[in-house]
This record gives sequence, structure tokens and C-alpha cells, in this order.
Amino acid sequence: MNIQPQDIDALIELFEASDWDELHLKIQDFELFLSTDPKSRAPGTAAPPSVAMAPAALPTAARESGAGVPRGEAPRAVPGNWVAVTAPNLGTFYRAPKPGAPSFVELGQSVEPDTEICLIEVMKLFTTLKAGVRGIVRQVCVEDAAMVEFGDTLFYIEPA
Amino acid sequence: MRLKRLFVANRGEIAVRILRTARRLGLETVLGVSAADTESLGAEMADRVVVLGPAPSAKSYLDVRLVVHAAKGTGCDALHPGYGFLSEKPELSRLCESEGLAFVGPRAETIEALGDKLSARTLARETGVRTVPGTDHMASVRDAQAAAAELGFPVVMKASAGGGGRGMFKATGPRELEASFDKASREAESAFGDGRLYLERFVERARHVEVQIIGDGAGHVVHFGERDCSVQRRYQKLIEEAPASAVPDATRARLHEAALRLTGFAKYRNAGTVEFLYDVDRDDFYFIEVNSRIQVEHPVSEEITGEDLIALQLRVAAGDGLGLQQNDIKISGHAIECRINAEDPKNGFAPAPGRITRWQAPRGEGIRLDTHARQGYLVPPFYDSMIGKLIAHGGDRAQAISRMRAAIDTFTLEGPKTTLPLAGAIVGHPDFRSNHITTRWLEDIGLPAFQAG
Repeated sequence: MNIQPQDIDALIELFEASDWDELHLKIQDFELFLSTDPKSRAPGTAAPPSVAMAPAALPTAARESGAGVPRGEAPRAVPGNWVAVTAPNLGTFYRAPKPGAPSFVELGQSVEPDTEICLIEVMKLFTTLKAGVRGIVRQVCVEDAAMVEFGDTLFYIEPA
Repeated sequence: MRLKRLFVANRGEIAVRILRTARRLGLETVLGVSAADTESLGAEMADRVVVLGPAPSAKSYLDVRLVVHAAKGTGCDALHPGYGFLSEKPELSRLCESEGLAFVGPRAETIEALGDKLSARTLARETGVRTVPGTDHMASVRDAQAAAAELGFPVVMKASAGGGGRGMFKATGPRELEASFDKASREAESAFGDGRLYLERFVERARHVEVQIIGDGAGHVVHFGERDCSVQRRYQKLIEEAPASAVPDATRARLHEAALRLTGFAKYRNAGTVEFLYDVDRDDFYFIEVNSRIQVEHPVSEEITGEDLIALQLRVAAGDGLGLQQNDIKISGHAIECRINAEDPKNGFAPAPGRITRWQAPRGEGIRLDTHARQGYLVPPFYDSMIGKLIAHGGDRAQAISRMRAAIDTFTLEGPKTTLPLAGAIVGHPDFRSNHITTRWLEDIGLPAFQAG
């Protein structure tokens, strides 16, 4: 069986969406071990796990993947340490809590992990997104009131 | 109204199937996918693809608001739900309607009325369509004898408070009824604290027969013949065919008439299937339920009628009516469909996701393959295991069977285990060829024979 990078992405997504503590997969020479416990190790190995995930890295973990690039825009090179905040689902992106109100965050502003940074609306149901990381807002990647898709990068934050 | 842009709220082969017809009709198409399906065949075919959410369907394909938001956000004027997922959720039909999107399916109230078993049975009774004949509570064995004589043996005694097969006793004649009535009552009493019993006709040999209909929403309904889907495992259909040639012509005509009466009374809109249990020994049928969506097995009806049911669905959704009368629909030949599921039939039908390493589909006269799979495709573990449907059409049933067998024999499919070898064994079995199949056949005979082989 030929394991491709997107297969691993899919497995990680499945794991993140589940309430499992650990996932251990072995196919011939390929071995994948996922755990919510950073100290956990795959059975029978002394080596560090292939992927150790911090529990509940909300709203979105910064993963460098193609899905984080908004369609129709050339991916702009950003410093490797900047963290992408991505859309958790398709919806309409709003920078402010209501029309005419100031934006949740501005470029250059410092944010804490629980700082509210935007709204995603799905049929008049609004979800607030938080920065998820402490740092400085370096890029706003989407126009206000635009439709975004799952995985689109909304902001880049430079971690403090 | 002319539809301009269609949103397809589904995945897999049915998304491909809908997109194919929509493109042929000149509609623009938008496909909503999960993150696991961004490189699917459907995604390549659609004019635009939007990623709804992550792979788990609860966060993508099963979210009513999400798909409607995506359809509106991409400027669509109609939404096709396919089958499964949200197709029979009245909330989706209702939200589409309130948002000005044409829903390619029935009205929300129809889905609700038919989705509820009790109200569907009431509707059947009101329109003179019979359900499995049964009785109210039987006060005594004498009452039970009289009722059983009227129903006709065999009958089954069931606990009023029961369920799941407990407290059920079959009686093939009056003596057996006499002998087990008290016992059945006592068992019901001890199991459920309620000894009351009722009787129902027992269908020893049943076939699953269903009628494909499309209605215009104003009371005009046409049918496209019936299908026989008796090859089932745990109520999952594996092989479907049309017409149901084991059922006498006169009975089939009554089936069609019953299906039209019921759905006509409901002013049914769009495509639906009226399912019946066919009692082989009594040559009689009983209403089970209406499926208010296009079904997996619709291609066999298309093959024998030459109609494109998806095109008709879109026509009705656009408000253009059916555009055809019953006598425009002609049945020709016989068609069989085998579902190809990525499951291991020799290992309890365990799901077998994984990458398809070789895929060489058969070709030939009368052969059709509805699929989203291809060489290199990864069958994701998140969804239904069906990866395609192989359909064979012939001048008669024997020709359809021989075309199907040849197609299965020349199908090269490597990677995940599939049900294709099982399908080959079934269509090659003497019982299938002689058409002596019941809904019990696969589990009782077909599967043990395959697993031993």
C-alpha cells in the first residue's frame, strides 16, 4: 500500500475530530502513531512518536499545508514561524462584530490565544474565532464579508 | 423557470452522475466537498468546487446550513441532494425553499409525512394500499383462530409490547396456533409485563419489489416500472434488477397502480420509490415505505425505459412539469445492477478503504459503470463504502445476466477488497439464474456458498 501525504493529513483530521486518545497504524514499513499525550510513545518503540499533538489547539492548529492557501491567490511567502489561522468551515468572513463596528483586530495588533479575531457566519449562525496563539497580527488574508472555504487562511500571526 | 446553476450536495458516484446530466443540459455546476474529496472525479467535473468543511461528514456533507450557505454564496439557483446524507432531511428542503433555491426533491411536508412510518401507513390505508394484514389485540385463542382463518396461515403471533423478535410465534395451522397461543401470551407477559398478542400474516418467502415514480407536485405522477431488490444482506441491497420478472404481469400492474395512487394522493413532487414486500406464495404485496429521493439503483430503471431520471428531476425542480405521459414510457429488455462496495465479503463485510492500485473497467454492449473511482483513487475511510455500480442491460434477463458475468470477469480491480467477486458468484448461481430468490436467499444460501468456495 502506497501512503501519500494527503492520506496522513486525512488520518490526522479523523483523529482530531474523534475523541480517541491514541491512534496507532502500521502498514508494512509504514508506521503512524498519534496521541493527545505529548509523553506518549508508540508501543514497542523508544523513539519519539511520529506526530505528537497538543490537546485541543483551538481554533486551528498551524499546519503548513496546501489547504491553507486561499484559492485564486498566489501563495505569498511568509516567514516560517508565522502561524496561519484557518477557516474551520465554509462561511462568510466578518472582521467586525457588526456592520460599522471597529474590527476585532488590526494589523500589527498584539493578540492573546483567546483574543477574538473574526466571525464566520453560516446561514445567520455566527461563530467567533480566536487567535489560538499569542503574537502579533501580520496579515489579514481575506476581504471582509467574503465567502471563505474550509482551510482558507484568514490571518497570519507572528508568535510572540 | 430556467435553472442556471446547480449545487450538488453530495459526493461519490451520485455526485458524478448528477454532474454528468447537469453538464449535458448546459447547467453550470458547483460541487460542495469535504477536505477529503477535493481531488475527486466530481471535483474535476464541476465548474466550481467549494470546500465545506473537514472530512467527517457531520462537519461537511451533513450540515444543512453549511450546504445552503455554500449554494447561495456561489450563486446557485437549485440544489440536488443526491441520496443518503441530507437527501431525506425535511429541514434541507424547507431551508432551500425559504432561501429561494429550487430543491431537487419533494416538499418538506411530503418528506415528513412519508418519513414517519405511522403516518405513511395511514396514508397507505387512506388510499387503499395494503400494508401487511394484521389484527388488533386477541382476547382469546378462539378470537385468534377466527382472525387467523381470515388472514390465512401461516400467521405470526406478536407481543403488543414487544419488539426485536422476542415473543414472536409462528403458526402454520390451527393446531399450532392452539398449542402456542397461551405460551406466547405467557412469554409476552414475562418478557414485557403485557401478555396481549396480535396476529399478522407471516410472509414465508418474500421479495423486495419497488416502483420508481416521479410526480409533478400537483397530483400527476408517472411510474418507470418496478425493480426487484431481493438480494440483500442485513437489509442492504447488493443486486437490483428491473423489471421484477418473477412477479406475474397482472400483479405488477396492480403494484404500479398502488404506487401511483399513494403518491398521487400525496401530490408527490420529484423522484421517489414506493417499496413493497411481495409475498411469493400468496402472490400478494404489502406497502413498506416511500423513499423520497433518487435511489442508488435508479440506473436499472433508466436502462429499461431509456429515460434520464436525473434530467427529469431537474425539469420538475425547475417547475416545468413532467413533460411526459405514462404511455410515453416504454419498458424494454432487462437490466441488472451490482453494487461494488469496498468491503471484504469473506471477512464479515469489513470496510476495506485504501488505494485502488489497478482499475480497468469492462466495456461492451449494454454495459454501464456509474463510479467516481479510478486507478490511484484512495477510498477514504470516512464515508459509505460504495465505489461504483456495474449495470448490464440486455434484451432479456438471460442476456443481461450473461453480459453482467462477462463484465465482472473482465473487470480488473486491485487494491481494496470489494464485493465484486461476490456479485459474480451471485449472478452465476443457478438460483439467481432461475430467479428463485427471496430476501433470505443471500444470507441463507448465497453467502455460505460463496464463503465456502
